[in-house]
Amino acid sequence: MTFTGLIGAICMFPLRAIIAVCVRFRIHPNVLTFIGVLINFAAAWALALGRFVLAGVVMVVANIFDFIDGKVARELEMESPFGGFWDSVMDRFSDISLFIGLIYLYSSLRRTDYVMIAALAMMFAILTSYTRARAESLVEKCKVGFMERPERIVLFMIGAFTNRMGAVLWVILILSILTVADRIYFTWRELNARNAKPRMA
Amino acid sequence: MTQSPLTVPLRAIWNALYWTHERATWQYDVMVIAILAFVWLTPPDWLRDPTASGSGPIGWLIHFFR
Repeated sequence: MTFTGLIGAICMFPLRAIIAVCVRFRIHPNVLTFIGVLINFAAAWALALGRFVLAGVVMVVANIFDFIDGKVARELEMESPFGGFWDSVMDRFSDISLFIGLIYLYSSLRRTDYVMIAALAMMFAILTSYTRARAESLVEKCKVGFMERPERIVLFMIGAFTNRMGAVLWVILILSILTVADRIYFTWRELNARNAKPRMA
Repeated sequence: MTQSPLTVPLRAIWNALYWTHERATWQYDVMVIAILAFVWLTPPDWLRDPTASGSGPIGWLIHFFR
């Protein structure tokens, strides 16, 4: 087992108990998703105030809701196309709110350079999900690129808990740019290959 | 056909840039370690981090060996 796999397996123990409680009380998964977003707004507020450790703790709580909603939906057999749509839209709210919190913080510190880094990281984080969604309307699957939402969230938490938000923003920015580029290249290659097949036949 | 000695490092760089690996693979672990090393070892002063300061572990090592 890889070490990231081991960390994931350890984290699943408490999460299974929380999922069981939600299933027992038949809490609707869409409600869990919405609660997660509201808690993420609180994390963004803490980031804006520069209270990183508090923001980290709130992010952990918010992302528990974010993680379990799909699993609860499966257990309660409440999976629906709208649930998937609602989840992705709420994820964008959560993502953007955290970046806005940081932009507010850096602008209040009069650090235009980091306002720009946070704004660009936000742009490419949104484009990461947009390119995949748009690509998957043209090709079957577009799951290339490293910096997806779970990686971004864990990095935010590491940055908050260890007060290394500057380095984290650089990593998110550079790897998000690469992820968007990977997805554009992958889609271009897939579509070219598809167009080449009929010509060869 | 013989492979150029540059083929392996260039392929490694290309595989890191054009990422197609799943989570929980050894390649993913290597990437995670590289990211954590950058985040925790890079002196905040080098990045002009607005909320953190100091030279970090790399700075301490440089200071120690001077």
